[in-house]
Amino acid sequence: MMFSFKIGAQAGAGVMVTGRMMAKCFTRGGFHVVEYPEYPSLVRGGHNVVEVAVSDKQMYSPTQKCDVVIALNKDAIFYHKDFVKKGGVIIYDEPIDTKQFKIPKDVHLLPVPLIKLIEKAGGNNNMINVVALASALALVEYPFEILAKVIEDEFGRKGAEIVKKNIDAATEGYNYVTENKGDVVNLVKTIKPTSNARKMLIAGNEAIALGAVKGGMKFYSAYPMTPASSILHYLFANERNFNIVVKQTEDEIAAMNYAIGASFAGVRSMTGTSGGGFALMTEALGMAALAETPIVTALVQRVGPSTGMPTWTEQADLRFALHASQGDFLRVILAPGDVDECFYLGAEAFNLAEKYQLPVIIISDKFLAETVFSTERFDEKKMKIERGKIVDNLPALEPNTRYKRYKLTKDGVSPRVFPGTPNGMHVGTSYEHDETGFSSESFIMRTKQVDKRDAKLAGLLKEIPAPEVYGPKKAPVTIVCWGSHKLPALDALGILENNGIKANVLHFSYLFPLDKNKIEKAMKQCTKTVMFENNSTGQFTGMLKQYCDVEPDFLVLKYDGRQFFAEQMAEEIGKLVKKKFKGDKDIRICEKEDLEYYNQQRYGL
Amino acid sequence: MVVSIKDLDVKEKMQWCPGCGNFGIVSALKGAIADLGLAPHETVICSGIGCSSKLPHYLDTYGFESIHGRGLPVASAIKLANNNLNVISVGGDGDGYGIGVQHFVHIMRRNYDLTYIVHNNQIYGLTTGQASPTSMMGMKTKTTPWGVIEEPFRPLATAINSGATFVARGYAGDPVHLKELIKGAIAHKGFAFVDVFQPCVTFNKINTYPWFQQRVYKLDGTHDVKDKWAAMQKAYEDEKTNYQKVPIGLFYKVEKPTYESQLPQIKDVPLVKHDLKKIDISMAYKELE
Ligand SMILES: Cc1ncc(C[n+]2csc(CCOP(=O)(O)OP(=O)(O)O)c2C)c(N)n1
Repeated sequence: MMFSFKIGAQAGAGVMVTGRMMAKCFTRGGFHVVEYPEYPSLVRGGHNVVEVAVSDKQMYSPTQKCDVVIALNKDAIFYHKDFVKKGGVIIYDEPIDTKQFKIPKDVHLLPVPLIKLIEKAGGNNNMINVVALASALALVEYPFEILAKVIEDEFGRKGAEIVKKNIDAATEGYNYVTENKGDVVNLVKTIKPTSNARKMLIAGNEAIALGAVKGGMKFYSAYPMTPASSILHYLFANERNFNIVVKQTEDEIAAMNYAIGASFAGVRSMTGTSGGGFALMTEALGMAALAETPIVTALVQRVGPSTGMPTWTEQADLRFALHASQGDFLRVILAPGDVDECFYLGAEAFNLAEKYQLPVIIISDKFLAETVFSTERFDEKKMKIERGKIVDNLPALEPNTRYKRYKLTKDGVSPRVFPGTPNGMHVGTSYEHDETGFSSESFIMRTKQVDKRDAKLAGLLKEIPAPEVYGPKKAPVTIVCWGSHKLPALDALGILENNGIKANVLHFSYLFPLDKNKIEKAMKQCTKTVMFENNSTGQFTGMLKQYCDVEPDFLVLKYDGRQFFAEQMAEEIGKLVKKKFKGDKDIRICEKEDLEYYNQQRYGL
Repeated sequence: MVVSIKDLDVKEKMQWCPGCGNFGIVSALKGAIADLGLAPHETVICSGIGCSSKLPHYLDTYGFESIHGRGLPVASAIKLANNNLNVISVGGDGDGYGIGVQHFVHIMRRNYDLTYIVHNNQIYGLTTGQASPTSMMGMKTKTTPWGVIEEPFRPLATAINSGATFVARGYAGDPVHLKELIKGAIAHKGFAFVDVFQPCVTFNKINTYPWFQQRVYKLDGTHDVKDKWAAMQKAYEDEKTNYQKVPIGLFYKVEKPTYESQLPQIKDVPLVKHDLKKIDISMAYKELE
């Protein structure tokens, strides 16, 4: 069973909260849920939609088409009517005039007098979302009690009165649809809870934040920027519970420099931003590398260049992350593929940063960052905190000598000592330096310090796992992808199987450094490889070629602001199979319908 | 703790021009640290980039020489990470009032308990003599061959206006007076700012030792350091007198809660001493279910 809802309204109308409540209702009934928001960069006006996809089997990504649309304004009907599955239903607020729209023949309209029902319940217009949610649940005969409990949890802190009013309004909506759905009822499935085991609902950003906290992050500094802001919001909301310090700084330059300062003082620290903010951080990123101060940065991509499309998704900052800041230096780039990887890599990033005393960048994107997934509690047993070489008990120094913070070592790692420790005095520095940290322009020392820092690569490579294979070990065609695109890729496997095509997925979540041996081996085990990248130049494909001398057989690119949907991946693979893998190696795709959420006037709505 | 100036000495030779005002500032700072008995290993001196920013290398404390203009954000976070440390940030006028001015303005709103000393030589030293934000009108430099036509930045007025709780100005030519100012700054609970006139003997031929000698005078007991408006007037006295009378000393001082003192997370135990093995996130799980 797989079923999906879309709730659409104008920006500011609260559909995001409604989406989260609906998602909660279904996870509490034992279902797998993906809750996927789309919205323009506007606080009011513009169109917002949230999809809630529900399944009794593991499911990874949102779908293009849905079963039920809940339209709180006429725009929502306009935008989504053509993406309703056969036999699907559009629930809408009764006063909306639907005659102006050409509704597909096999899609049913179900008007619900939302405002009148609220009035009947003695509520106010803010409750329109709750009533609409109740109406949708009534349509699939999902038990009202679950909704009532979710309302209680959601509005509880606002007081019993508010909870009661919302439940009354929801009851009206639920009863109305139960009584009036008529023959529509035969067209949609009913959904019955399968268990009451509770799963979590968590978005990529929250999972990174939570992983970082469990991984010992004590300090987070950032400047707001979509789509990284929800890390900042989540950490601020829980700052005291987690017993950490979170700082909103004057800009991203400060954010990165704060994080470096805290790290120098001995605290696991992190910053997060999107491309524009990362541009401001790049100078300090290099300082972290030269001063060998561990630092973790979440780079949550949106559509660039420049301000681009702030609330839409892309994977086009990978080369930027790889090359950011002047000079040659080693860094680690991690790209979690789902919320579980967000959590574990969110913690692991600190181990790598501290053990190798270098910058670690967790690269994610709007799609993974803001999509909410149901998942089990994370398995903390498989985590450990490894802080690398730190000394806190030092013998007295000879007079006129200083601690050798940048001591030349074989593995490139020199023991850190934190301020406050006797006999460890030294200067952390952005200048090239000798072993004590004093500036040095000696050609020999310079070469030795560069070699020392580069020597970390050998140890690091041992810790970097091979790319992961999902699905059958051997298959005639392999989807290759990185980061968030694991999600649609895994769902594409199911679609392909239904179409009689056997395929598997080769997914990369460790993007740099790349281990040539492991990657060559993994690629050799594939028959035909098709790389999917959410950018216009195939950035990771280029990296694989450059660092590992391997190349996928086909490269499919999409850069319209949306991630690949599973349906689209399956379609492209299907076409290639049909053509017996002949034809153009480079394939570019774009959404078929041009629906712009920002500028509704274009449609004369 | 008993600390002598010798305890703070390092063998590295100070790489500044003979006669540079920076020597006076280092000796005043060392004297202040010794007089206050700050343990060198519990003291961190941060800086940006510039001639003046080399200072952390010349004292045997912990130090962090960051990038141009970023000494303050690094210092801020060191304080938040370990509020037991004595944190001091130093830098030039280009560093603090030019490229890093946003940090300067915002740090004062926050009132962290740390000290900021600006070596104000009214010129870019390390990059060999371009105009700085505090270069005086008409001054000829490499980047102002026809003279400066921009109003000079006013550090003291800006500080008073931005919420600094300790605002002072010293003169590198009077290290004894300067030492007392720095002692007051370090002892102050909150953000303490000391702008220091620092003659640059190589690139600033206007604001020389004799120039200052004729003009600076010390604020005395008649100036009420609690009076914001009086402090503001003193901060403008140089301009008002066409740079005939230039006050140095403590301009403004007020007690306010520090930023750190308002964070219960670090009230008893500094962040750096939190136990990473005992992190419990189960309440987060519950909230997400
Ligand atoms: C981002 C950046 N821009 C420019 C420079 C070059 N630079 C180094 S120091 C400096 C100015 C020095 O003047 P000031 O801060 O007043 O310090 P002083 O040398 O006079 O003590 C400049 C422009 C740099 N290091 N980094």
